[in-house]
Amino acid sequence: MSGTIFMETLRRNWRTAVYWGVGIASYAVLIILLIPNVDVLKSYADLVSKMPAGMLKMFGASDASSIASPEGFLGFGFFSYTVLMLAVYAVVGGLGITANEEDQGILDVVLSLPVPRWRIIVERLAAYTLFVIVIVVLCFVGLWLGVQFTASNPDAPFKIDVAKLLQGSFNLLPGTLLMLVFTAFIAAVVRRKGVATGIVSLVIIASYLLNFLGGSAKDTLAGQLSRFSLFSYIDSANVMKNGLAWGNILLLLVLTAVLWIGSVWFFQRRDVGV
Amino acid sequence: MNHNAPVIQTENLSKVYQSRKASVRALDHLNLSVQQGEIFGYLGPNGAGKTTTIRLLLDLIRPTEGRARLFGQDAQANSVEIHKRIGFLPGELNLWKNLTGAQIVDTIGRIRGGVNTAYVHQLTERLSLDTSIRFRSYSTGNKRKLGLVLALMSQPDLLILDEPSSGLDPLMQQTFNELMLEAQKEGRTVFLSSHVLSEVQAICDRVGILRGGQLKAVERVSDITHTDFRWVTLRLREAVTPAQLAGVPGVSDVSQTDEGLRLRLIGDFDPLLRRIGDFYVQDIKVQEPSLEEIFLTFYDNHGQPEDETARVGVTA
Repeated sequence: MSGTIFMETLRRNWRTAVYWGVGIASYAVLIILLIPNVDVLKSYADLVSKMPAGMLKMFGASDASSIASPEGFLGFGFFSYTVLMLAVYAVVGGLGITANEEDQGILDVVLSLPVPRWRIIVERLAAYTLFVIVIVVLCFVGLWLGVQFTASNPDAPFKIDVAKLLQGSFNLLPGTLLMLVFTAFIAAVVRRKGVATGIVSLVIIASYLLNFLGGSAKDTLAGQLSRFSLFSYIDSANVMKNGLAWGNILLLLVLTAVLWIGSVWFFQRRDVGV
Repeated sequence: MNHNAPVIQTENLSKVYQSRKASVRALDHLNLSVQQGEIFGYLGPNGAGKTTTIRLLLDLIRPTEGRARLFGQDAQANSVEIHKRIGFLPGELNLWKNLTGAQIVDTIGRIRGGVNTAYVHQLTERLSLDTSIRFRSYSTGNKRKLGLVLALMSQPDLLILDEPSSGLDPLMQQTFNELMLEAQKEGRTVFLSSHVLSEVQAICDRVGILRGGQLKAVERVSDITHTDFRWVTLRLREAVTPAQLAGVPGVSDVSQTDEGLRLRLIGDFDPLLRRIGDFYVQDIKVQEPSLEEIFLTFYDNHGQPEDETARVGVTA
């Protein structure tokens, strides 16, 4: 029956997604509560300004003064870390598409049922896409709640634009989805869960480091190669300041769609569970 | 779809596993046919290619050469239609560890499009399976029982069972045999791989013997068990050594036992009776070989079929 795999995936995994969402939302509330007032932010920016400029750029902050604004602080202190947390969820979720069950031998039973292989990939990816959306929505709710708490605090005279919070949260979606589908794609190609985990982890860590190192020295090889880094297209630290980069979002979504199709193509054609 | 087609038919079905170090031919040009209503035993030692055959039939792996047809349809191109009519029990059943037996039945049932709860209840009763326990807490035997429930619950036209009775106690083995015979009575087909020969002997109509990826023989169980190979035990009053029976046509494997001289006889009794005619014969015991002994003759110490079994041709 069409949609049964989707529903089963939702049924078995929704709690985990909610835990992740609530965890990230709690972190969001905490971070906003940590921005007590503009003076403290300025002190923080003064402290950060003592860091070498290269190191500051490594973390995605263009300069110390940008951190002195609530938006800059959130980009630096929340979104740049949240994207890493979501990367972990994306890898865990991506392995849940086929790799975990194939590794445990469960997929033999599932594929002996009247279900075409493509439906396993498509419906599970759809379910995990929904989970990522739920987590991001909860993340936004956490940020919004934090803003509501600080709004009632007379010591926090600044305003955080909710639209910008929404943009920052939305910006997490395409990159996370790409990492999710990339993991599913690698698992569909290489078959072994351990190998898939290794390849995906290596690519994501290398991509992060490339962006991290490249950000500090644009003229170096790392700087030039950083355009191949997924994280340079997510640019989570600056989204609240610069707004959404629709070109980057489109590119990430196109790549996601291509890898989604690729996952189905490879999984349809290969031996399962050997 | 061809309604008169064999339920299972393979044509030169072959599978080669490629790895960096070597390629292994797990199945070599298998030509096999199983008819509706049969219980077909698929015998062979570990690594013979039994599981590979099953995985090919289920389209879990793809053939290097040849093809498999189930219910007259291509196993790969029509896998979804075919799987609607199949119940499968893998050799090693692994399922979602955190779910209870009942939740697993429900999950598999939903994917299948519905569960006949009354029939599932009947199966769990007969197999004495407690479905309120999480899968991770099940013993090997209970996992096997759950696997049987999952395979049988949709009352499929074809049951493909990989080592179905391993881990079942003798009572449950009996229940399993009954379930298979009931399925057969209802016109359903059973394809089971096994190395438990007593199980095959008890319920199978035909057996296929596989070794090194090659089908060595397919015979009716009744034909094989009535082969002219017998064990003969002679109790003679005089002391006769095994060497004295050397050279008698059809006689081999002569040994002295507590009961007398034990030998294996192929063909007629007459040459043996003529040789022992000079002795006083107190007793002659003739024992039909078990299927296990017949099976083992296909795999002598050098792994080659022996003369009397080599003539059993592949008739599938």
